[in-house]
Amino acid sequence: MKIRNFPILLALAVMAGIPLAAWAQGFKPAKPIEFVVHTGPGGGADVLARFIANAMEKEKVLPVRMQVNNKTGGGGATAMAYLAEKQGETHTIAAYTGIWFTNPIMRAEAKHTMKDLTPVVRLVLEPAVIVVKNDSPHKSLRDFIEAAKQNPGQMKQSAGSIGARDWVVRQLLMKNTGANWAYISFPGGGERIAALLGGHVNMMVIEPQEAGEHIRAGNMRVIAQISDRRLAAFPDVPTLKEAGFDVPTVPQVRGIVAPPGIPREVVTYWEDVFAKLTQTPTWKKYLEDNLFEDGFMRSAELNKFIDVFSDTTRGILKDGGIKVVR
Amino acid sequence: MDVIGHLYQGFAVALEPANLFWCFVGVFLGTIIGVLPGLGPAATIAMLLPLTFQMNTTSAIIMLAGIYYGSKYGGSTTSILLNVPGESASVVTCFDGYQMAKQGRAGPALGIAAIASFVAGTVGVVALMLVAPPVARLALSFSSPEYFALMCLGLAMVVLLAGASLLKALLAMLVGLWIAGMGTDLFTSTSRFTFGHAELLDGIDFVVVAIGVFALGEVLANMEMRGGARMLPVPKGLRNLLPTWQDLKDCRFAFLNGSVIGFLIGVLPGAGSTIASFISYGVEKAVSKRPEKFGTGVPEGVAAPEGANNSETGGALVPMLTLGIPGSGTTAILLAALILWGLKPGPLMIQDNPSLFWGLVASMYIGNVMLLVLNLPLIPLFAQILRLPAYALYPVIFGISLVGVYSVSGSLFDVWMLAAFGLLGYAMRRLDYPAAPLILGLVLGDAMERALRQSLMMSQGELSILVARPVSATMLFLAVLLLATPLFKKANALRVKAIEQAD
Repeated sequence: MKIRNFPILLALAVMAGIPLAAWAQGFKPAKPIEFVVHTGPGGGADVLARFIANAMEKEKVLPVRMQVNNKTGGGGATAMAYLAEKQGETHTIAAYTGIWFTNPIMRAEAKHTMKDLTPVVRLVLEPAVIVVKNDSPHKSLRDFIEAAKQNPGQMKQSAGSIGARDWVVRQLLMKNTGANWAYISFPGGGERIAALLGGHVNMMVIEPQEAGEHIRAGNMRVIAQISDRRLAAFPDVPTLKEAGFDVPTVPQVRGIVAPPGIPREVVTYWEDVFAKLTQTPTWKKYLEDNLFEDGFMRSAELNKFIDVFSDTTRGILKDGGIKVVR
Repeated sequence: MDVIGHLYQGFAVALEPANLFWCFVGVFLGTIIGVLPGLGPAATIAMLLPLTFQMNTTSAIIMLAGIYYGSKYGGSTTSILLNVPGESASVVTCFDGYQMAKQGRAGPALGIAAIASFVAGTVGVVALMLVAPPVARLALSFSSPEYFALMCLGLAMVVLLAGASLLKALLAMLVGLWIAGMGTDLFTSTSRFTFGHAELLDGIDFVVVAIGVFALGEVLANMEMRGGARMLPVPKGLRNLLPTWQDLKDCRFAFLNGSVIGFLIGVLPGAGSTIASFISYGVEKAVSKRPEKFGTGVPEGVAAPEGANNSETGGALVPMLTLGIPGSGTTAILLAALILWGLKPGPLMIQDNPSLFWGLVASMYIGNVMLLVLNLPLIPLFAQILRLPAYALYPVIFGISLVGVYSVSGSLFDVWMLAAFGLLGYAMRRLDYPAAPLILGLVLGDAMERALRQSLMMSQGELSILVARPVSATMLFLAVLLLATPLFKKANALRVKAIEQAD
């Protein structure tokens, strides 16, 4: 709530005979909400944010509009810095994702960490699957690992950047098995798939929704899934643990944070709004369509998760030979 | 034939009044955002996406695709009139388009751009319709070594873009390559030339450099000529505002070249419309009977890149619709849209939703006609802007440039960068360094470095991977040949001189 509105609201509250204590507990947004995302229009976080803004309106969960604000740059650092500057601003929230954890650990330029912001909720976990091309000789993840052991450095994985989820999965699997294979970065998801389907690489980690149609068309085969339990879409494919690899499951996390220093009742308000949203049919259908998992978590729990997740990520990065700056 | 039957059904879908209406809305919006520098089709589509949830899926994709190819039509307008590239793909159009405007031929330049866009846009759709599946498979056989060779070929174009001094052109290109290297290294996640600024972690946006070097550099250089700053001549009469038969005849090959190159490069997921426009401009100049005139305002120098960036749209839709692989930022959003509407983009989509695919194809034919009809009458209107006296026109260019850059990222840091690149552009003009090679280096640098490093990772450090593959070897050979042409010319000149002296 902006300071300049305060006297008016105070006067209104007194006139209406509302006890001040009760007013302080009941935060209600009074103007459109600024919803900050770190990707440009069309990026993963942007699409999610615009979907949320639309669902809030459709399901009448939030009395005001949400306006998506793209603060791109710095692999999320620009958006995080922007949010940190908005200290105490109650009408701004942001969508975070895994890069908000890894970026500040790796980059000296990214000066703000998740600990500098107010955790609100965790929303979704995006599982992943490991795929090979349909004519690949590797029928299981074990086959691929054995091939990688026999030809060190010759097997190839098409992937994103260092520190991304597919990199983390590779590091964990290599550490667990002693195998070693090349990690070839492509900036766009389309290029990664094209490299696999063109037979230029052997394997990739992909979101199940993205792989779904290629699997149905018979171009790709799933050899393992990165999830705690089998996804409904792939009942016959083993999880990493079931396949005999004792490595932690690394989901892509997405959720909401707010600027630092906002009152407790505002956090509660947002927790309730998002709790309500996740119960709506629109949201449930969204999770189902995209094969996401419900990862809902409230602020206090999320706060603990942030600590644990940051430490795990830091450890994996260090093991992978990446310079850790904080 | 099967195609005709399908197309007939497609037109039945596309000619429904509602779909015609949304097609018009799409191409109209596309033209507007194309004219405005900064805001591109990707951003516009993403912002309009929530509105489409209530729409019929076919109408929605028809409208969004209309925005996509419509923006390519509008992009040339500010390039030609103000030297402000409306989209990254329209930078090349500045080279000859702005020169034509300076000679009072803004109308014909805009006309040529519209006609080239129409021809190539239509060829792109025909190709999308007829050869999509085999071409998509061909694109998959392209891998990092081929991309590297393609970028080398593009970079070798520098000899064609150089002005009087090849040395200066090479220096400008190196600066472009250096700027392309700024930001985060994809392979090691280390920062390069960020000087501790988080804003530089993602590198410098191409639009900032292009608008700074071209538009602001030009304005600053013109402001210097006090008193001498004449108004640009704009001839009266409709006939002078349209291209002549001679112009169209000069552009015959450019229409074809732009259409084919644009489509082929569009199909490749790792290239893009900016690269397509550069390469088609280079090819046009290489085969031209009057290469020395390029850069001074020849119509084919406008037709080739404008054709290429329009036909690229048809190409980019090929991997998206037939394989579910997005080749560019805009197609990635279209793909996200298909998923949000509950469709399943992928190898089976055309088979599962024939009316959507054929309706879209048919709507693109209609949309291209709409764009031509929409854009041609606008030409006399747009050309009037050059009648503004310099003291009004330059502030307008300044304003458009600032807003354009700010609208891309919403960051003031980028506006400062714009100022810096404006000064660089001015200095380059004063010292007679060509701007085009700098932009060429910037466009290709990142993709080229990436492709080289990917290739070497694939081959475990063996450089032979670059020449062991026939396609990449051919392209590298062509690049070397292109680079050697100035030497041949020099040798030839010496030989002629020697013969003359002997006589």
